[in-house]
Amino acid sequence: MMELRRTLAGRIALTAVATVILLFLALPIIVILVTSFSDNAFAAFPPNAWTLHWYTSLFADGSKWPAALSLSALVACLSTVFSLIIGVTAATALTRSELPLRSAVYALVLGPLLIPQIVTALGLFLLFEPASMLGSPLAIALGHTVLASPIAVLILVATLRGIDERLEDAAASMGAGRLTIARRITFPLAAPGMIAAAIFSFITSFDEFYISQFLSSVDTVTLPVQIYNSLTFDIDPSVTAISAILIAFAILALVLVALVRWLGSGRQDSPLSVENTAGIAAPGGEAV
Amino acid sequence: MAATLTATAPTPARSRKLLASRRTRVGILYALPVVVYLLVLFVYPIFSTLFLSLKNTDGSLTLHWYADALTGINLSVLFTTLRISAETALFSLLFGFILANAISRLKPLWAGVAMLIVVVPHFISALVRTYGWIILLGDKGLVNETLGWVPGAPFQLLYNEIGVVIGTTSVMLPYTVLLLYGVMRGVDRRLLAAAASMGAGRVTIFRRVYLPLVAPGLASAGLLSFILSLGYYITPALMGGPNQTMIASLINQQVMKQNQWNGAAAEGVILLLLTFAGLLLVRLITSLGASRKKRSAS
Repeated sequence: MMELRRTLAGRIALTAVATVILLFLALPIIVILVTSFSDNAFAAFPPNAWTLHWYTSLFADGSKWPAALSLSALVACLSTVFSLIIGVTAATALTRSELPLRSAVYALVLGPLLIPQIVTALGLFLLFEPASMLGSPLAIALGHTVLASPIAVLILVATLRGIDERLEDAAASMGAGRLTIARRITFPLAAPGMIAAAIFSFITSFDEFYISQFLSSVDTVTLPVQIYNSLTFDIDPSVTAISAILIAFAILALVLVALVRWLGSGRQDSPLSVENTAGIAAPGGEAV
Repeated sequence: MAATLTATAPTPARSRKLLASRRTRVGILYALPVVVYLLVLFVYPIFSTLFLSLKNTDGSLTLHWYADALTGINLSVLFTTLRISAETALFSLLFGFILANAISRLKPLWAGVAMLIVVVPHFISALVRTYGWIILLGDKGLVNETLGWVPGAPFQLLYNEIGVVIGTTSVMLPYTVLLLYGVMRGVDRRLLAAAASMGAGRVTIFRRVYLPLVAPGLASAGLLSFILSLGYYITPALMGGPNQTMIASLINQQVMKQNQWNGAAAEGVILLLLTFAGLLLVRLITSLGASRKKRSAS
């Protein structure tokens, strides 16, 4: 803003403070990655010696991590499928047809994103407890979909809005049926958005804590709940290794989304551009 | 009028009407999954929470659970929640403002890199980042090791409010940076240049031109991180002491440990009402900001 007559000292000071704030965001993550290879996983930093012990101990006998990891993966897959079905149909309704009470539907979709997750979790607990479905992967996945599907809807609405409807009209005017149009025109153009929606639904469900906490039982515990438990009750140092793996997963997923967006946008700009990175964070785009 | 229209040009009017109704039918059909899903798994559960919070053990209506939630330890938990949320909102707004401002002056490539450092942590589980802070802030952690030469070291940075606010601020910061960055990019720089050309100093431009332009964004970003903090408890539970118990944590304890669903439901409804109040304020500020923009544009 005030590039006009800004002093050098002021610019240096601002850069320094901004760098410290960026460190503030990055440091906890870097520290986990380093500690996961450290021989002393108990909060001593920097480490003295290096080891892969915590990674191998994840799969030791009696370890709770493989079960938690596979439950979380199963739940996230189910939740992704549900979210995509809901997302595709809802986005079609919101962009390609006349919908009475459109703004009410939008408000309903945004609701789960605005209301404290703990309240949603409590409500779902009250719904599933009498049905004795606590601990069921299906119940947890249905719960996660409440949070994941609004994100999928917003991403897919932005995607469908970005597709020129005249292409569909042109195909129709040349005699293509609705199924053909969907299969040969809309679907290929919407594919990057659908992949992004799937990845974000998966991450949302995989990282979800509050709903899992309320809907899990003693022997079905999702990964985030297991991490929370090992940080509060039994101190299990292999939690650093699983945390590092989660960091790697998240970065991988974001790289995937950035690549898909970049390929989908006709490769005009780099996946590192501000629009692309900010677009990852606000996947709904203008719809939010 | 409709009759004359159909009389003079029957076919196009009718087919358009038919098309419209077909589009409506398709719309309703496709909207059905999301509406039914959220009515059953989101709206209905929240209403059952509301009913439960008003129900006595014998089934009659009561405000007893609310009275319970607003007295004694529960009331102090509510105040703690408000206090920690306010502190978090304040710090994430301050840091967010500085960082977003700095990024908005960078060249595109560097801005992209900086945004990546903001965005990536946002998608890493808050549990993992909190654990990172626990390692960093411990007695033998990096922070205390670095500050070893300062008298009074090692500092107690965990299991108190300092630790909690550091942790929650780092969780909420990406939201405020992203929101403020969007707002700052929307500021018309010609206004600043115009003010400078009329002889305004840097401080005056900042105070009288820039700040008023970003003020609505600042207010809603602060409120949003406040609202998000209200229902949050991962970091306070892991990095705080007994004096940092938040309302969401209390709800969890009441359900899981004490089987006290009614009380938890009442706490949930109070949390919900606080959130709604915050959202209403955000809405008010946004519409005020929009109308001011319109007025200044015309």
